[in-house]
Amino acid sequence: MIKQEFLDKMTAAVANGYPQEAEGLARQAVSQGDDLSTIIERGFVPGIRKAGELWEKGEYFLPELVSSAEAMKAAMTVLRPEMEKTASRSGTRGKIVIGTIEGDIHDIGKNLVTAMLAANGFEVHDLGANVQLQSFLDKALEVGADFIGLSALLTTTMIGQRRFMEMLRAKGLDKKFKVLVGGAPVTVRWAEEIGAAGYAENAVSAAGLCRRLMGERT
Amino acid sequence: MSATIEILPLAKKVKVRKKAFLSEALREADVPLSLYCQGRGVCGKCFIEVMDGKLPFFQPGEEELLKRAGLSPAHRLACQFVVESDLRLRIPERSLLGRVSVLEPAFEVQLSFDPVIKKYHVLLPRPEIATAEAELDILLQAIKSVPLRVALPVVQELPAVLNRSGRQVTAVVREGKELMTVEPGDTSAGVYGIAFDLGTTTLAAELVDLASGRTLGREARLNSQAAYGADVVSRISLAFEGPGRAAILRRAVLSDMNRIIRALAASAGLSPDLIQAVSVAGNTAMNHLLLGLPVDSLAVAPFNPVFSTLPDLPASELGLEIHPQGKVYIAPNIRSFVGGDTSAGLAASGFSEGRTTALYLDLGTNGEIVLRKGGKLWATSTAAGPAFEGMNISCGMLALPGAIYKVEADLNGFRCGTVDGAPAKGVCGTGLIDAASLSLERGLLTPQGQVTTASRTIPLTGSLALTQKDIRELQLAAGAVKAGIRMMLEANGLKAGDLEEVMIAGAFGSYLSVEHSIRLGLLPEVEPRLVRFLGNASLAGAKAFLVSFPSRKKAEETAAKIEHFSLASRPAFQEVFVSSLEFRTWK
Repeated sequence: MIKQEFLDKMTAAVANGYPQEAEGLARQAVSQGDDLSTIIERGFVPGIRKAGELWEKGEYFLPELVSSAEAMKAAMTVLRPEMEKTASRSGTRGKIVIGTIEGDIHDIGKNLVTAMLAANGFEVHDLGANVQLQSFLDKALEVGADFIGLSALLTTTMIGQRRFMEMLRAKGLDKKFKVLVGGAPVTVRWAEEIGAAGYAENAVSAAGLCRRLMGERT
Repeated sequence: MSATIEILPLAKKVKVRKKAFLSEALREADVPLSLYCQGRGVCGKCFIEVMDGKLPFFQPGEEELLKRAGLSPAHRLACQFVVESDLRLRIPERSLLGRVSVLEPAFEVQLSFDPVIKKYHVLLPRPEIATAEAELDILLQAIKSVPLRVALPVVQELPAVLNRSGRQVTAVVREGKELMTVEPGDTSAGVYGIAFDLGTTTLAAELVDLASGRTLGREARLNSQAAYGADVVSRISLAFEGPGRAAILRRAVLSDMNRIIRALAASAGLSPDLIQAVSVAGNTAMNHLLLGLPVDSLAVAPFNPVFSTLPDLPASELGLEIHPQGKVYIAPNIRSFVGGDTSAGLAASGFSEGRTTALYLDLGTNGEIVLRKGGKLWATSTAAGPAFEGMNISCGMLALPGAIYKVEADLNGFRCGTVDGAPAKGVCGTGLIDAASLSLERGLLTPQGQVTTASRTIPLTGSLALTQKDIRELQLAAGAVKAGIRMMLEANGLKAGDLEEVMIAGAFGSYLSVEHSIRLGLLPEVEPRLVRFLGNASLAGAKAFLVSFPSRKKAEETAAKIEHFSLASRPAFQEVFVSSLEFRTWK
């Protein structure tokens, strides 16, 4: 039986954004031979959710969110190889290919979404910035992605999101992937207009959106 | 099918096509509506009140914006409103673009007087049979000039002009290398130029007497392109949609400039024909749109401009209504996001000549940062977003009458100073900075930017308050500037303490509080005496290009040698940016 107190420490380490502490607790769990999926689901994941809640309340801003995501990453870096060793695949929540669209080099927003999705247990393939439309598709086909995330920070590059949707429809692949769009100029309306599966205003709601679209109750 | 719209309080009635967007109908009716986000329905600046007529359902997000603006449920966003039937509406003042006043340069330009156009009044000797000299040679000898470039019509008309005037003429010479015209009689007193600061939001201009270097008048107006989106990127993206759209933007700004030219000439009692030179300092997108150049390359990576430096252009070709042979000079662009406004400011302020370690800042939607060290210059731009212009702030506005531009501590709260002392209507960038800094000092705000009051707002006046989201927007704007300065300094092995001078140009004028900016971390911790406010340095530079034409060459050399420092492509940028969001002093 894993003590609740121990799990609470993990939750706090992530929510407060302490990577070293989170890493230490993860190592301790491994050496104790704890059930690692319980450690993740009841220890660390509630921490990143709490950080998300605090963000939504306006109490947390980017630096706090980044620290929490880093703490989560530190814990998972310890836990993931261990779980693979014991063949108890951690079971990702879903796979997403993400990047900033061609012609656009702004990627801080996209990096935050990547960090939050990874922290929420998604397998994220981040293609970086100024990514060709075809590369998104190639990678998505290669890894068997559930989602494709297109970020555009300029009204001028936002048009690429529409072109991507048109490309998917032309190839008959629009039902295969759920396309998510984001970025400063992007709105819900735009997402609907181009036929994207979803839009999120920030990294925290992006994580919530992916979980919802994977049929999870949030 | 059309519908009639009655517009209060402007007492206007217009007929519009059904199914048209209300914002477009109002634009066609010349209603100066604030369409900050280019009609995307996200900025919440264009609410109108429906007095009579069908109220449409809310669009996604609209209700939230309405709530945030604290308006009655009869308000809708004009840009989301599809006209279905006759309407009677009232446009709240907050939704209208206001009148602008000229932001003046706050310093004297220290450049030698050497105007771009010089006039020489001479009485020409008659040619003698013994020498039978050519008329043009006689003229050139009389003005002691080397051979000049001359347009054919000038030579064609020369004999007639000489005859008519009894050989008493005034030769008009541009940059000491071109004979522009030869006028009969003595017209040497009448030579004028107009300097333009072509801003994304506002145009400011000065009428300059090129014979004396004196400024005879100033004019300003909002850039009419603002009706098509407030920021540079929205203009670029509109132009990007097709040549027709780009032409609309070009016509809009040309018409603004011609109106200013006429107004300046009229108030000085001159004919616009007497204006022979114009100079324009504007950011890269603005000068590209003015010249009818494609902006595609400005719109996507790697963001390179079509030109950096151009020779004088004929005003007639450009469409500016001045002297038929008048010329227009465009201040050189440094890079796509560091444009002619910056090169003009650097030239006028002498920044490009200095030897000390110094920083030049122009803080707007796009923050330009130039660092000087050991005579070398680096320039960068940082996307501060529109918070400094008050645009994504719930009660934000430009520094127009009624804007809170200054906040001071008071026993019970804050004491606010407004532009022109008008009743407070909103808060502009400098007021926002003061308010945040004082709130930080009083513990109403944490360094992380969390509002700690029970109401989660920071009240400024009885009806105006800053929200948590407003503070977050300010953090993003200040953080972008701070990250830019930090990275420029670090890359050159400098600390804030090494700075011997900090020059601040742009819309903040001299109203930016150094103390509060340092407390928030917008400016590094330097002695306040080292900070110098330049005001409208871009306009000062445009004037310098008229009254001291060698400054053009210097500006072009600076633009060519200045090193571009790209922030976004540096791996450390994200970390530095995120860690710069905290409100605290730094060295």
